[in-house]
Amino acid sequence: MGLPIAVLIVMFPSILFPSPNRLINNRLISIQQWLIQLTSKQMLTIHNQKGRTWALMLMSLILFIGSTNLLGLLPHSFTPTTQLSMNLGMAIPLWAGTVITGFRHKTKASLAHFLPQGTPLPLIPMLVIIETISLFIQPMALAVRLTANITAGHLLIHLIGGATLALINISATTALITFMILVLLTILEFAVALIQAYVFTLLVSLYLHDNT
Amino acid sequence: MLQNLVKNVWVPMKPYYTQAYQEIWLGMGLMSLIVYKIRSADKRSKALKASSPAPAHGHH
Repeated sequence: MGLPIAVLIVMFPSILFPSPNRLINNRLISIQQWLIQLTSKQMLTIHNQKGRTWALMLMSLILFIGSTNLLGLLPHSFTPTTQLSMNLGMAIPLWAGTVITGFRHKTKASLAHFLPQGTPLPLIPMLVIIETISLFIQPMALAVRLTANITAGHLLIHLIGGATLALINISATTALITFMILVLLTILEFAVALIQAYVFTLLVSLYLHDNT
Repeated sequence: MLQNLVKNVWVPMKPYYTQAYQEIWLGMGLMSLIVYKIRSADKRSKALKASSPAPAHGHH
């Protein structure tokens, strides 16, 4: 049992999603099934046959990141997605998977992505360089976006909460600061929106590489 | 017991692990290569810094 406790924390959200056993389940599992069906239908409409083989991966990705970020809003909890190492560990294999899929099944079309249509002849070398750079920046952008957003939100909550506690004795501004905390926390609940951003970005990348 | 658990995981996930996720395994290999390169470079620079403690150009 020499497991570092971070491993247990990362594995914890999976307990909160019970798996369906029967044809008709209890209410909790039915609600979960309905939500997953809603999300997956919304997400997979734009994909073709080949892209839909990634359905399980995309759904488990959005569930994991969503549940991890929401659990991180509880006081004194640890959020694994604030660590850049973990987000890079999610972004790099998935992005590389989409690129390799595109090169494997549609080699010419994937190479053609490096040059947009209708560019004037003298601009071609520079544009190929720019498109290559923008391709290789995709996994870094995915990882850093998630890390920075979650970390910044947590930091703001810490700071503003500390400021509120310090200002309680000076009661004039207390009500205003407390209200600011409430508003900020509600806005931070849109960490879930960030998961949308993550999976959608990944999704767009997959789409571009498979279908176009 | 362990074999039963693996049977519950491996048998339903076999087409995913063997066919659908092939490119993702390659991506994981690429990521492990990057991690190895970064860790070895860090170890090399730390060993270099520890073995030559002469502050020739001072601290910036």
